[in-house]
Amino acid sequence: MNSTGNDIVSLNAIDITRTKQQRFYSKILAVSESILYNQYQTDITFENFVWLLWSIKESAYKFLQRNKPGLVFSPTKCIVTQLEIPAESQIMNPSIFVLEGIGFDKHPAFKSIVTVGLEALYSRSIVNSDFIFSVVSRDNNFESTGWGIKRIDDTDSNSQSAEVRSFLLEKLQNEFPLHRLQINKNSDDCPILVNGAEEINIPVSLAHHDHWVAYSYQLDSVSSL
Amino acid sequence: MTKQEILNELKKVIAPYTTNKEMLAGIDDNTDLIKDLKINSANLVDIIIDAEAKYDIEIDYDSADKMVNVGTCIDVISEKIKEKNEQHG
Repeated sequence: MNSTGNDIVSLNAIDITRTKQQRFYSKILAVSESILYNQYQTDITFENFVWLLWSIKESAYKFLQRNKPGLVFSPTKCIVTQLEIPAESQIMNPSIFVLEGIGFDKHPAFKSIVTVGLEALYSRSIVNSDFIFSVVSRDNNFESTGWGIKRIDDTDSNSQSAEVRSFLLEKLQNEFPLHRLQINKNSDDCPILVNGAEEINIPVSLAHHDHWVAYSYQLDSVSSL
Repeated sequence: MTKQEILNELKKVIAPYTTNKEMLAGIDDNTDLIKDLKINSANLVDIIIDAEAKYDIEIDYDSADKMVNVGTCIDVISEKIKEKNEQHG
């Protein structure tokens, strides 16, 4: 079934010293991923590598959990098997406040394959000095994946929740002006898009951390509108 | 340690990672760390590491995966304390 999953990590909110401690990162990285880092250590700091993989894994979990509600998030069992780093990984201006797109042709993104059991998924990640944002899809082209990143002022959970919802709704309401869109949560705590009382078959994913919120949606089922 | 003693200490471990202090004061076994206490998932590893340090225990991957609500956190911590005591017994 169709799905989407995203995650954002605020790099101002992470503990760099703790991230570098073996007892910490060993609860996130599989052994093969620690080895994978050796290939990329000149391109990305270790703490960013750890949180990049965390964000990919969290996104993969959200992607799969929509259709497997009982799935347990086990970071060391979500394994990034391939990673491709863009030539200009720090190209983005760190002072951006809003960034949105469909696909990643216009944005330099990290590409990976992440496996969870027998499932293999693809990811794209945008990394700059402020945040790491990842989104996961079953297809490697991402041309039907909408996404957005926004900086917010207030970091309390209610503000984060409200801001990310209005950010996504504003985007989708422009795409589908005839609909009265809302974002609810289903009984499994997954966000769902509804038009009036009817659920719309466009999977959406929400994420927030510190001063950053992010969304993703998958438009493959747009004909259902 | 009794379950109540572990719960009291667990509140101190969790406190830095939740802004929902009212909910924290009244937590019970069913309180979900993410849904109820609004703890960011990025801090779950911090809580596991802090719990390991607090109780001088090691929480393996499979046990860590279970720590999604207060009840399962207490169960895992109780089990690991018991294992430690048996080893040193």
